[in-house]
Amino acid sequence: MRATMSIWFFAGIMLLAYGVVILAAGLWELSHPLAHPPALSQLHAPIWWGALLAISGGFYTVKFWPRR
Amino acid sequence: MPLKALSQLALVFAQGTGQSLARLDAVDILVIAIYFGIVIFIGFYLKGSSNTSEEFFMAGREMTAWIAGLSFVSANLGSLELMGWAGAAYQYGILATHWYWIGAIPAMLFLGIVMMPFYYISKTHSVPGYLHLRYGDATRALSAISFAFMTVLMSGINMYSMALVMKVVLGWNLNFSIWVSSITVALYVALGGLRSAIFNEVLQFILIWVGAAIVPILGLIEVGGWTNLRAQILHNLGRADYVHLWSTLGHFSSNPMGVHWTGIVFGLGFVISFGYWTTDFLVVQRVLSADNIRSARMAPIIGAAFKMAVPFIVILPGLLALSVLPFHLVGESQAVANHLHSYNEVLPLMLVRYCGPGLLGLGVTALIAGFMSGMAGNVSAFSTVWTYDLYGAFLNKKATDRHYVAMGRWSTFVGVLVSVGTAYLVQHAASIMDYVQQLFSFFIAPLFGTVILGMLWTRATKQGGFWGLLSGTLTSIGLWGWVRADHAALRYVALSPDAKDMAENIYRALWSWIVCVIVTVVVSLLTRPRPVAELAGLVYGASPIPKEHDDHWYQKPIVWASIVFIVFLALNIAFW
Repeated sequence: MRATMSIWFFAGIMLLAYGVVILAAGLWELSHPLAHPPALSQLHAPIWWGALLAISGGFYTVKFWPRR
Repeated sequence: MPLKALSQLALVFAQGTGQSLARLDAVDILVIAIYFGIVIFIGFYLKGSSNTSEEFFMAGREMTAWIAGLSFVSANLGSLELMGWAGAAYQYGILATHWYWIGAIPAMLFLGIVMMPFYYISKTHSVPGYLHLRYGDATRALSAISFAFMTVLMSGINMYSMALVMKVVLGWNLNFSIWVSSITVALYVALGGLRSAIFNEVLQFILIWVGAAIVPILGLIEVGGWTNLRAQILHNLGRADYVHLWSTLGHFSSNPMGVHWTGIVFGLGFVISFGYWTTDFLVVQRVLSADNIRSARMAPIIGAAFKMAVPFIVILPGLLALSVLPFHLVGESQAVANHLHSYNEVLPLMLVRYCGPGLLGLGVTALIAGFMSGMAGNVSAFSTVWTYDLYGAFLNKKATDRHYVAMGRWSTFVGVLVSVGTAYLVQHAASIMDYVQQLFSFFIAPLFGTVILGMLWTRATKQGGFWGLLSGTLTSIGLWGWVRADHAALRYVALSPDAKDMAENIYRALWSWIVCVIVTVVVSLLTRPRPVAELAGLVYGASPIPKEHDDHWYQKPIVWASIVFIVFLALNIAFW
């Protein structure tokens, strides 16, 4: 059997999964502030970084979705 | 509550009893678990595509220029590379960038434009394999044995340094880090061969960027931009030489590294860099997997473009730490003795500073990915050189293709086991880490002399190649031993008593290359050359290079190499 799933599809899936998880963690922090927040936590990096990963991952996942 | 259970389970296995700098949350464990799940899935998924030796060892020579290029640069981006150079940036300032720019870019472009056609059209499986075609079995054996030996040792040292940082920063047990990551690498490389290693290296490269890039972005916001960072470093350290690439290299004692510009240009920029990027099979193997000669030429050029950007996630965090960390980092031995943090921990320390739950897991995963891509590069190259250039060439020449694939899978496991053994050896003798890195440089610099003369000079003979490589290697080892026996010898070896370790390495490499070239030339002129007709496909001037038939000017590798080189020059001038 030859590989039919593109490497870029795997990259998309990975980025999408990480984007969703990190964005969710960032949103959770809004209502449950951390006891020991990291530096610059007021910038909410997990939200915009997670969203960026999810959007780029979603794009690659759809574009390189395995087709018959 | 499956997430919480997962987190607790991982922590039971992973955490030791010592104090740690940070504690991972359940979401961080989930991020790490996703990564391990993907890499193992890829290994099983590609197992069916690695049945022949060409598929297992050369990925079927089906990789596009982008995949081969990203894999080429990712195989080099191991944990020592990431954490070691971030630490070097803290210790030596922006001078550490030379190892990414002049110490890589010209050599990578030279590989793509000049050398790759010969590697590719000779259809060799490895660099020792090329030496076999060009110089015969003796040179191949010398090169293959030294490469196989040093590769597994370096892999073990990478493994130990990674596990050590995980222990210091996260409190993870050393055995846990070493065994989990090495078994994972062994599994996916043994299952899917080079194709699996390359697929994972591309993912690891992306992951390293998305995991580590958040540190310089937030760091620059915190300090108020590059101009403010320079001013703060100047204020904190009271010296300007940490933020200049070239202007402080006029004298050995006028920069933190104790190096002269001649050493950077000729030793690092020429001998060490060209030796590593054009003859170290660990990286060259990735390019040999390209699907055609144009892809093989473009892959190092694409790799060079990305390599130029790596200082953003490696060097910049080290410089930012000079400004924002509230404490000073020290050398490894002082850190162990006084329970302080060492230079090598600067990248994890910066991750902990800026990253909360989720992002911290992503950053830690980036470090793990860096380690695994470096280790996979080492073991897949070891497996190929062992199977083709030692086992198949000298021990069992007439085995079936299926037998060699099985040998490749088993030697992957053996390579990983030897690496694990090295990791434990290093644990009890920390100075071995320094020695083995120097040993590695012993073989690379003279090897470049042997390969480049073989490719560009039809007159180089079998005897010239062998004696040149041997004498260059012995020169390097001899100079190293001389300085260890009598430190005053540094003024001769490194041209200055002020030279530091890195400067000594650079000059030692330069001398060993010069000796290799002189001996190769002299012995070649005294011995009978091979007929030029026998050198077709191996040497410049004796080989017709296949035309690539680019439809447009912008498809030509030389155009992209020129663009990358102009950006390289502009960056050096900008940070002069």
